[in-house]
Amino acid sequence: MEKRRKSKGDNLVLRYLVLGSWALFCLVPILWFLSIGFRPRTEIITPEPIYWPTFSLDAWRLLLADWPIFDYLRNSVVAVAGSVVIDLILGIPAAYSLTRYEYRGRDDIGFYILSTRMMAPAIVAIPIFFLFRNMGLLDSVWALMLIYAAVNLSIVVWIIRSYMLDIPKELEDAARTDGAGDLRILWEVIIPACLPGIITASVIAAIFAINEFLFTLLIASTKSAYTMSVALANFTGGSDGVIYNAIALVSFLAFLPILVLIVLIQKHLSRGLTMGAVKG
Amino acid sequence: MARIELRNVVKRYGSFTGVRRMDLDIADEEFLVLLGPSGCGKTTTMRMIAGLEEPSEGEVVIGGEVVNEVDARDRDVAMVFQGYALYPNMSIYENIRFPLRMRGIGKADQDALIRRAAEMVELGDFLDRKPGALSGGQRQRAALARAVVRQPQVFLMDEPLSNLDAKLRSSMRVQIKHLQRQLRITTVYVTHDQIEAMTLADRIVIMEKGVIRQIGTPDEIYSDPADTFVAGFIGAPPMNLVEGRAENGRFTAPGLVAVCPPDISGRITLGVRPEDCRVVTDGPAELAGAVYGVEPTGETTYLTLRTGETLFEVKAARDARFDLGAPVKIGFDPERIYFFDTETGVRLRAQPQRSAA
Repeated sequence: MEKRRKSKGDNLVLRYLVLGSWALFCLVPILWFLSIGFRPRTEIITPEPIYWPTFSLDAWRLLLADWPIFDYLRNSVVAVAGSVVIDLILGIPAAYSLTRYEYRGRDDIGFYILSTRMMAPAIVAIPIFFLFRNMGLLDSVWALMLIYAAVNLSIVVWIIRSYMLDIPKELEDAARTDGAGDLRILWEVIIPACLPGIITASVIAAIFAINEFLFTLLIASTKSAYTMSVALANFTGGSDGVIYNAIALVSFLAFLPILVLIVLIQKHLSRGLTMGAVKG
Repeated sequence: MARIELRNVVKRYGSFTGVRRMDLDIADEEFLVLLGPSGCGKTTTMRMIAGLEEPSEGEVVIGGEVVNEVDARDRDVAMVFQGYALYPNMSIYENIRFPLRMRGIGKADQDALIRRAAEMVELGDFLDRKPGALSGGQRQRAALARAVVRQPQVFLMDEPLSNLDAKLRSSMRVQIKHLQRQLRITTVYVTHDQIEAMTLADRIVIMEKGVIRQIGTPDEIYSDPADTFVAGFIGAPPMNLVEGRAENGRFTAPGLVAVCPPDISGRITLGVRPEDCRVVTDGPAELAGAVYGVEPTGETTYLTLRTGETLFEVKAARDARFDLGAPVKIGFDPERIYFFDTETGVRLRAQPQRSAA
């Protein structure tokens, strides 16, 4: 007994050590960004190591003065949030249909939906450009919203579907004999039971959308549609050459919304809400 | 409060026939148990009554109305599932309320009904909990409460106790029976456990491979089985079935000689229940064998004998002690011996002998 507990403790130390080093490895670039972002420009380009950095808001001031960062952030948020909403409105019923209804070619349709994700996006880049130009949607946040939604729909459908497959059929049978119709069952039984799946799918879709580059570059041409991802790539720090501390700061700001999102919902990111529905 | 009829009901899944030509008449307020091994079509039959499966042929009638075209949600049946099927995101209170809400029962009346149903199954203190925070027995009772809350025409229960441990199962059994008697609602109950069937049912329907083998009260099924399947399925331990030959009023098998009706002959299976056998120390006996195993249960002792190739079980006195391999002679209660056609399994009954035309 004593021995066993001890060996378990050793394992725990090892586990923290491994996870801790990995976390450090992942976090160092971000902390480095942060540190560069709040130091004066001159300090960054000196070749000697600096042990006691000086704190400075120069990069901040520069950024706020001549770079429309809030426009870009707003564009990102609007396009990403809108695309996730569209994905859920279309994806949840689609996933439900793929799991529960029996019809001809159901599995083929499911595979077709997934296969749209396997294609390299560059293949459709030019047709999409012409399509949106003809619709008069170039350089518009709404166009980006539609494109992000289209790109991510397949993943959203498949993630939600996999969660729905785990919901016991008995739950629906119970709701039906209790007097609920299809839409009621979807809304009151299925959606709450696969909420972790819906949240997971939304977060993944949001991350993909916020990092989307190719189509955004194609569609957006001014600050009225530039998102953080494209603006960041074009940003050099202004007219005075490449300013690294401003770039670091912008990178960090681009990363921040996703960090906040993940922290807020991480408890839902794991499965487990269906526990207690059936024995187990 | 309804009579249920199945008329010539067939259920096919592709080329597989789950239920074949079933006729069943369930009386108002009756407690009917569908009993059979897994895959015998009992759950399919119940799901057709619920409206969760559509019969391939035939009619399902509830309360005098053909309901084949009626959706499950409009049939006014309540079902209890093997896995309880409680809505995990809702509290027990919301779970019980769900069927009331779906049927548009006024908010004002809901609360009293929910509390009454919860009291009936002794869950009054757990209404705020989520299903995940309840034990198996409590979840099962919550599922029962959800079924009884709206006083449906029909109760359907699909192996509701099979996920519970043995002790809980027997106490829930009593609760279910009490509840059904109290509410006087026609109930169909599916199980593969013959003890549940015997203790709960007004009538039992024994099914095998989609066919009804026998319908009757528990007593009829026990004391008058229609074939070897029923005889072997009911009773714990089950009836001893010994294959042999009958000629001139004598049935013989290795180690076994018994009197049989003179009009029975050929390849015959003899059946006798362990509780209708007794150990004979001296005097005439039907069977001789060697002790193969002894199982004391506290209440009684079950003795297993080996005669020829077959094992034969006997209910012996509670304090009986036997040595393995010791020779033992067994006598049968002559009133309680059954004969079956070995080929077809069908019960053979003696022709009334003194029936003077």
